[in-house]
This record gives sequence, C-alpha cells and structure tokens, in this order.
Amino acid sequence: MSTYVPTPEWIVLDWHHACIAAELLCIQRCVGCGRWRHPPRRFCPACQSDRTTFEPVTGSGSVLSFAVSHRSLDPGWQTHAPYATLLVELNEGPRLLAATTTPPGEIRIGQRLAMRTEALSEHFVLVWADPASHDEPTSMAPRARGNPHD
Amino acid sequence: MGTDLWGTTAIVGVGETDYVRGSDRHVCDLILDAAMEAITDAGLKPADINGIIPPPGYMSAEEIAAHLGVPDVAYHVSVLMGGASPTASLQTAAMAIAGGLADNVLVCMGWNGYSALRPKPDARPTKRVMNLGPMGETVRNHYAPYGLMSAAQHYSLYLRRYVDTFGIPEDAAAAVAIACRNHAQLNSKALMRGTPLSRADYDAAPFIAEPLRKFDCCVETDCATAVVVTSLGRARDLVHPAVVYLGGAEGHPEPADEIANRANLLELGIHRAAPRAFARAGVAPHDIDVLEIYDCFTYVVLLQLEALGYAEPGGAPAFVADGNIELGGRFPLNTHGGLLSQGHCWGLNHVVEATRQLRGTADAQVTDAELALVTGYGDLGDGSVAILGRDR
Repeated sequence: MSTYVPTPEWIVLDWHHACIAAELLCIQRCVGCGRWRHPPRRFCPACQSDRTTFEPVTGSGSVLSFAVSHRSLDPGWQTHAPYATLLVELNEGPRLLAATTTPPGEIRIGQRLAMRTEALSEHFVLVWADPASHDEPTSMAPRARGNPHD
Repeated sequence: MGTDLWGTTAIVGVGETDYVRGSDRHVCDLILDAAMEAITDAGLKPADINGIIPPPGYMSAEEIAAHLGVPDVAYHVSVLMGGASPTASLQTAAMAIAGGLADNVLVCMGWNGYSALRPKPDARPTKRVMNLGPMGETVRNHYAPYGLMSAAQHYSLYLRRYVDTFGIPEDAAAAVAIACRNHAQLNSKALMRGTPLSRADYDAAPFIAEPLRKFDCCVETDCATAVVVTSLGRARDLVHPAVVYLGGAEGHPEPADEIANRANLLELGIHRAAPRAFARAGVAPHDIDVLEIYDCFTYVVLLQLEALGYAEPGGAPAFVADGNIELGGRFPLNTHGGLLSQGHCWGLNHVVEATRQLRGTADAQVTDAELALVTGYGDLGDGSVAILGRDR
C-alpha cells in the first residue's frame, strides 16, 4: 500500500478529520440546499452557500471506471502491481477514488461496492471499496480496519 | 474584436534542440538555445523581442530576457495548462500583438523530461522543476495515495471508460503509435529515428496502466523548442513565408482540477476548444491538410480526433485505419513523429512542425500543405487548438 501519506490542508483536511472522527466515510453536504459534493469545495455550485457539514454516507456505490496500474512510482504500491484503483460513484452522487483488495480481473464497470475508511495518520484517511455481498445498498457497518494487503 | 485578432498574426521563427534521453546540458541552456535559434530563424535580434511567454516552470520570463539580452519586455504572461500550455500560448501571443501590447512575442518550452528522474552521474545538478499548477493539489491529496502518480495512471481513469463504452480495439491505438514511429524515421531530430516499431513489437509490450501499453506512451526526453509570433504585416517583411495564426482556442473540462466528478468523463477541454477554434479560423475539419495532435498517449489522440469532429464518439478507430493518418494518407498525423516518437516538448514541437509543413520545409513534407491543425492537451484534461495556414 501507499508509502506516501500526504498531510492535506484547508477544507480537504477538514474532510479527513471528519472521516477519522466518525470512523466512517463522510462527505461534504451543503447546509443551504442539501446537495452532497466531493472533493470539498468552498461554495455550493447550485446555491452558492458556503455553509457545509461533513455527514456519514451509506458507504454504497458502484464502479464508474477504474485504473489498472502495472507499475508504480510508489514503492509500496509497486509491491502490489498490477493493482486496481476504483473510480466510485456513491449512492449519494459524489464520486471519489478508492483503493481495493479485489484483483483487477474481477472488477467490472457498474459493479456494486461497499466502502470503508482506514486512517493512515491523524490527518489522512484512505478509502477502500470492494464488491458488495448483495445488490441492495448496505448500511455502513463498522468493519475491521487495517490493510488486508499487509 | 474577433475580426482584428484571428488571421492577423503569424509565426515567423522556430527553434528546436535535439531530443535526447540524458542531456549533458543544463535545462536552462536547452531553453535558451531554442529561444535564440527561433529569434535568429526569424531574422530578428533579441532586441526586437518585447513579449515573452516562458515555459510552465523551469525559467521565468525575466531570466530568459536577461540571458538573451532582451532589453525591454513590454508584456509577459505564464500559461499553466500542462501540455496544453504552448498551443494555448499562441492565442495569448496573438492577443498581445493585436492589442498593441507587444510587437514580437517569444514562446518558449523546454525541460529535462528524461533526466529529472534519471540524471546522469556527471550531469550538472538542477533544482529547476515544472510548475504543476492547478493539478498539483489534486494529485498530492487525492490520486497519489491511491497509487496514481503518473499521467498514464490519471488518464487511464477515463481511457478505461472510453475503451469499455465504445469497444475501442487495440488496433486503433497501435495504428497511431506506428504512424508516429514511421514518421519519426523521416525526421532528422526524432529520438526514435532508426528504431522502427512493428505491430508485433506493440503487441508484445507490457501494460503500463491499462489500456496503455508501453508504446501507447510518449517518450520522455530532454529538449526545448521556441517560436516567435509577430503581426502578419511585419511577417511579410521577414525571411520566411509567414505562417498565419488563423484561429485558436482553449477549453477546460468541468471541473478542471479533478477527474472523478465530471458529469461526462469523456467530455474534456478539447471538446469545448475545438468548435471555438474552427469558428474563429473560419475553416472546417475536412479543410485541414496536416494534423499535429498532442500525443502524450495514443488513446488520447483517438479521443481528440473525435472531439475535433473527424469521427463520431467511438468512431476514431475507422479514421486512423487504412493509412489515413500516414504520410500520403488523407490526414497525415504527427509528421515529425510526435511526442510518441520524436520527443516530448509539451506540443510546442507540434507547432514547430506545423510551421515547417506550411513553409514547405518539413523533413516529411506533405505535398501542398496549406492548413495545419495543432492541439495541446494537459493537466487533467485541459485542451487547446491552433489552426495555422499559409499566407495567401
């Protein structure tokens, strides 16, 4: 897994802190109109409000696209090559990247996913996604944290 | 305003270093060598230059002016669109000239694209780096921790979607890679001159980031290029036939600073820039004689050809088949070898090649070339277009 762990700043740091505090995947939500958005932004593109919260999401989504890397500049990821990185569309709408333990050959666009978070530091969470056990959206049950690769 | 801008400026000088893997030269020397060559090629002196657009990083306009001996910089600006920067810089240069802010504008690009990561043991050390501009924060915070650090990996997020949506065959990407490599055999400065590429070589190469195999990826090189832009009136008094900047545009996806939350992953900056550029130049896609398409990756060329209107979405494979993009075909593409096989100079080498084609002095000359189209492509999907024509 990633040797590189960034220390984000500004509203991106607020997002990581929210996920760490909740021990769940949280996403920025507009207080003005209720829209979810990611990555964190200052103003709502729909209503221009800058009042936001970070709220837990269902943790369910689907594969919109994915990258399969056969080599990596990161020594940690290189040991897992080839590895997939998923572009996930959450049930709530926003999209984000997620790491996965699923082998690249078993990933399909449209596949249903369950997400979880792993704190890599006090200031950074990594989002994981793997195929959901059934097609109904699942609530974000707390799962064992830690990296299955290690 | 529009009628005073488009078609009123011209490229009058070009400069180009060798394209090498592992230069003994400092990156600043590369940039200054190309700049001085472009000024000299135009029949001008550094004192004639009063506008400078520097590379995105590496050297400032102030430094470039001081080292070249440009005494009076009346206008400078930096354009930060990654590989879309040099082609977008042409519209900025034209605006400065048409608006009377500058007379002769130098546009520079150069970098140590190979040596930055793999310096020779005896190479002169440098702390000079590219300016990652708007994409730096996104890559640092949202992509690199997920194992996506290189452009091949970032772009594969939407190239995978492109291939899966339309069933794009590897044949199409291979046709682009092989056309560029074939053209590089004819180009005196191409890094890959003397190293042909067969379909068997292409198929045997490993994946870098799917769907990108090794030969779908451009060659990292140390190199520099430069062009001089002036008014069409002054251009007609200079040594070379004027190459007229007929129209151009830039475009950005929404949002431009990250990939995941675009409503359509396959609608990129070039999709917005292309119709603007054709309208401004007053020409149509099928009027063009030579295509110099930003080819960081083969599949990115296919997407751009569709955005430009040469094929419907998903239709680029038919366009690049049957030698259509080879020298002698209807739409010769990247006649210098492109980033894939000449070398990677952020697409300003495409502008240099288009200029030579329209002067009639290219190494792989397209017969009677009158109109050339250049694209730039960079950061996380920004796009730029320039349409150039012979002076009539």
